[in-house]
Amino acid sequence: MSLECGAHAMLGLAFETGVAFFLILTFQVCKGPPQHEEICLGLFTLVLTEPAQAQKCYRDLALVSRDGMNIVLNKINQILMEKYLKLQDTCRTQLVWLVRELVKSGVLGADGVCMTFMKQIAGGDVTAKNIWLAESVLDILTEQREWVLKSSILIAMAVYTYLRLIVDHHGTAQLQALRQKEVDFCISLLRERFMECLMIGRDLVRLLQNVARIPEFELLWKDIIHNPQALSPQFTGILQLLQSRTSRKFLACRLTPDMETKLLFMTSRVRFGQQKRYQDWFQRQYLSTPDSQSLRCDLIRYICGVVHPSNEVLSSDILPRWAIIGWLLTTCTSNVAASNAKLALFYDWLFFSPDKDSIMNIEPAILVMHHSMKPHPAITATLLDFMCRIIPNFYPPLEGHVRQGVFSSLNHIVEKRVLAHLAPLFDNPKLDKELRAMLREKFPEFCSSPSPPVEVKIEEPVSMEMDNHMSDKDESCYDNAEAAFSDDEEDLNSKGKKREFRFHPIKETVVEEPVDITPYLDQLDESLRDKVLQLQKGSDTEAQCEVMQEIVDQVLEEDFDSEQLSVLASCLQELFKAHFRGEVLPEEITEDGHKAHATPEAPWESLPNLCQMQEDNSSFSLLLDLLSELYQKQPKIGYHLLYYLRASKAAAGKMNLYESFAQATQLGDLHTCLMMDMKACQEDDVRLLCHLTPSIYTEFPDETLRSGELLNMIVAVIDSAQLQELVCHVMMGNLVMFRKDSVLNILIQSLDWETFEQYCAWQLFLAHNIPLETIIPILQHLKYKEHPEALSCLLLQLRREKPSEEMVKMVLSRPCHPDDQFTTSILRHWCMKHDELLAEHIKSLLIKNNSLPRKRQSLRSSSSKLAQLTLEQILEHLDNLRLNLTNTKQNFFSQTPILQALQHVQASCDEAHKMKFSDLFSLAEEYEDSSTKPPKSRRKAALSSPRSRKNATQPPNAEEESGSSSASEEEDTKPKPTKRKRKGSSAVGSDSD
Amino acid sequence: MNGVNDPPLFIKDIKPGLKNLNVVFIVLEIGRVTKTKDGHEVRSCKVADKTGSITISVWDEIGSLIQPGDIIRLTRGYASMWKGCLTLYTGRGGELQKIGEFCMVYSEVPNFSEPNPDYRGQQNKG
Repeated sequence: MSLECGAHAMLGLAFETGVAFFLILTFQVCKGPPQHEEICLGLFTLVLTEPAQAQKCYRDLALVSRDGMNIVLNKINQILMEKYLKLQDTCRTQLVWLVRELVKSGVLGADGVCMTFMKQIAGGDVTAKNIWLAESVLDILTEQREWVLKSSILIAMAVYTYLRLIVDHHGTAQLQALRQKEVDFCISLLRERFMECLMIGRDLVRLLQNVARIPEFELLWKDIIHNPQALSPQFTGILQLLQSRTSRKFLACRLTPDMETKLLFMTSRVRFGQQKRYQDWFQRQYLSTPDSQSLRCDLIRYICGVVHPSNEVLSSDILPRWAIIGWLLTTCTSNVAASNAKLALFYDWLFFSPDKDSIMNIEPAILVMHHSMKPHPAITATLLDFMCRIIPNFYPPLEGHVRQGVFSSLNHIVEKRVLAHLAPLFDNPKLDKELRAMLREKFPEFCSSPSPPVEVKIEEPVSMEMDNHMSDKDESCYDNAEAAFSDDEEDLNSKGKKREFRFHPIKETVVEEPVDITPYLDQLDESLRDKVLQLQKGSDTEAQCEVMQEIVDQVLEEDFDSEQLSVLASCLQELFKAHFRGEVLPEEITEDGHKAHATPEAPWESLPNLCQMQEDNSSFSLLLDLLSELYQKQPKIGYHLLYYLRASKAAAGKMNLYESFAQATQLGDLHTCLMMDMKACQEDDVRLLCHLTPSIYTEFPDETLRSGELLNMIVAVIDSAQLQELVCHVMMGNLVMFRKDSVLNILIQSLDWETFEQYCAWQLFLAHNIPLETIIPILQHLKYKEHPEALSCLLLQLRREKPSEEMVKMVLSRPCHPDDQFTTSILRHWCMKHDELLAEHIKSLLIKNNSLPRKRQSLRSSSSKLAQLTLEQILEHLDNLRLNLTNTKQNFFSQTPILQALQHVQASCDEAHKMKFSDLFSLAEEYEDSSTKPPKSRRKAALSSPRSRKNATQPPNAEEESGSSSASEEEDTKPKPTKRKRKGSSAVGSDSD
Repeated sequence: MNGVNDPPLFIKDIKPGLKNLNVVFIVLEIGRVTKTKDGHEVRSCKVADKTGSITISVWDEIGSLIQPGDIIRLTRGYASMWKGCLTLYTGRGGELQKIGEFCMVYSEVPNFSEPNPDYRGQQNKG
């Protein structure tokens, strides 16, 4: 920091002189404002840099300050906004300390400093320094809660900040502890000051959705939905919140100043087409770790809600907002992040109202769909699909409102001429039939076009009526990034006029421009240059192929300068660009999957050479180098190569060439290369992805069979017809997607996927012949509420199986929960079909788990451990089963093994359990009486209907429960035989005491 | 003399043989490290301003501190031909100072360090 204070030096010198020193200060301060400022900043500097003196300096500062610390507060804000990243650790610690002191003394304006401080906490960043900052600021706010409650804006901002940060904090014990503090803090503010939190607007709901699985928030959600008045008398329900637009200060507060500066720079200064490096740099700094996925939503919300460029920028060639959104969407690596990102993009659509909301908030979504149609139809498709599905799925009770919101958005978009017609977007031949059908069904009024449907025109009508409105905005210098953004109010006022002249020619999307390769040509040898020129001029593919062959021959000649490879690759890449635009896969595929037509694809015509060569041949590696150069410039080559190797007869059986290729690329290894290529293929062409799947799995089992990532890539994009195709491939023996040793792991990974993806994974699994026992351990990971897909699939499979002891054990190991009906369902089914077998297994499990240590544990921490099978658990499940079977004719509980086991268990049970399960144990009573007598078969017959008897004994049981509950503790210490007898006799209702 | 306070020279105006250069640029790419015989680390970095790009040769450990996206002020630099390419160097008493990052508009073309026949003669003379 550059603090221009001459007083600094003097302060250092006079420091130890105590009172005299203070008098000097006071004297100086009295001289006038400049001296006052110097002294304040001098003391402030000492606080930051001299921890040992901080206490004393702060005291002096408080005494000499004549402006209520204003100068210092301003300086703190300035340092935080401009220099925080450059501060050393000591300085940061001292700054936290100082803010804590300011808050403690209740200095007016300290709330502002706290908010600036919270802004420094980066989202999606769990590095130590960032966690330290999050925790330090939270500690101040928690310690000074009373003070926090005095500022409504601070309450709202703190809740918004920490609700968002909770999502990042999980995993290690330290983070978990921090998360708990954050949860407690947010919950207490939300519950006590809900009105203040309401001012956040609809993004409060978005953040609450992300934490809804945390028990404290689950309860809060219940109140929000069922009992809104309990939170605040003025709160009428969730709709109220969803209908209010989020104020920009909240959307902006989750970006650090550095992120904000960089994004604003991109949207105000960088020209469209020049953004690549800036994106890379931003990504490297903020989006490269798995933890950072959550930041994308903050960025998208910020771009939609805060970055509203001026008209000058809008009509210039500056990087448009939709392009940044497109970049953020395409670089999402996890599906959860991707669907959150889509929701963030559409969030203002759902309850859009033209009076309250701005067209600027909904515009990026429609434009990214519009502009991606040609280069990335998959993006457009997934967004349109999301737009349809979110209507019924966002929150079913409000489906009507959401539909209305989406409709209003689309209407408004057409009205304001963001797009003149939606039909070219909704009814585009690039979209698959199902999606188009869904769009027609949901939005019939937008699907009929005035003229016959044509492909989306990429070039827009250019800036009409531009001159009319050039002057109605005042931003003269969009050089200054901040000036490019309007306030809420201003935005509302001007939004009516804004739209008329949105469009400007867009460089990158102009497709049919002749390719310019002159800069490269100059660097080529003469003969090579000629051939490349021939290639460029040649119009028919056959001739092109011949030339290509000649080029390849020349490359293979001994005197070829290998330094030219890279230049040659650049030329080829440019010339063959068109090859990589469309889809590769022909409409019809012949049975053996080979190409049905003979369209040569020029770059690959060199491959027959490759296929015929020996791998140790130097020409072979030269061709690989050429491919690798091409690959660097055109990553699509990777999956095109896979397709070629799969489809071309010349390359039959040469799939392993791909491995050599992968090793020759800069990626250098097969796995990474394969995953990247499949990902690229997934984005470009789903049909091809499905087509390649069987051969990829067959040829590279080591890379594919253990990869949940690959499976997810596939199931994330296929539709049900494609799923069926894959299932058939599996059953016909063409495709193996799972192996015993890795399937469990992959299915566990799949638990985080979206519903359809999970169902696909299970269907594909079921198509294989892998014994169900292999994957039963997954049960330990499944929660009834969170994993309905996996649980129901598993349930339906288990019912086809004969129960093994292991299965029964796993099933019984599920914690008992009143809402969880999984175990009872399957036990009941087995009762009906395999009652004897089940009885034997249960007996054996009851007896095995009846040992004392287990029992003690179960008493102390009942059901705290997920997978631990406890006696109590078994009994509880059995009791549930008993209740379920009450009105059936099923005699499961009259079977000898069950009765024996129950008796056995009862004998060693303590009183509390005996009572808890008295109904269950009573089934075995009569059996017990005669258990010492040898002929058991007779007994069994006599016990034909335990149910009826159980009902008869209920009243006495109930009495006993209330009568002896206080005595049960001392009973524990008594010798067992006594207990057993007591229990036995009281159960039949006699009053033996 | 070209001092710190003079307006920086544009990359397009850099000619071989010029000394005492004061240039502000953004770093685009950092090349691989090569070692000289006497143990110096040398990196060739591609840098640009709004008028074009050029290669700068960065010596020793400061090269390991530079990252793509850094905005840097070069003081007392000089330009000369190396292997037929115009290259920028830090001169005696000159330095590279990071003054910001990211927020600078640049143009990658023309690349003034591309081999240029116009300069070949000069290089031979020098």
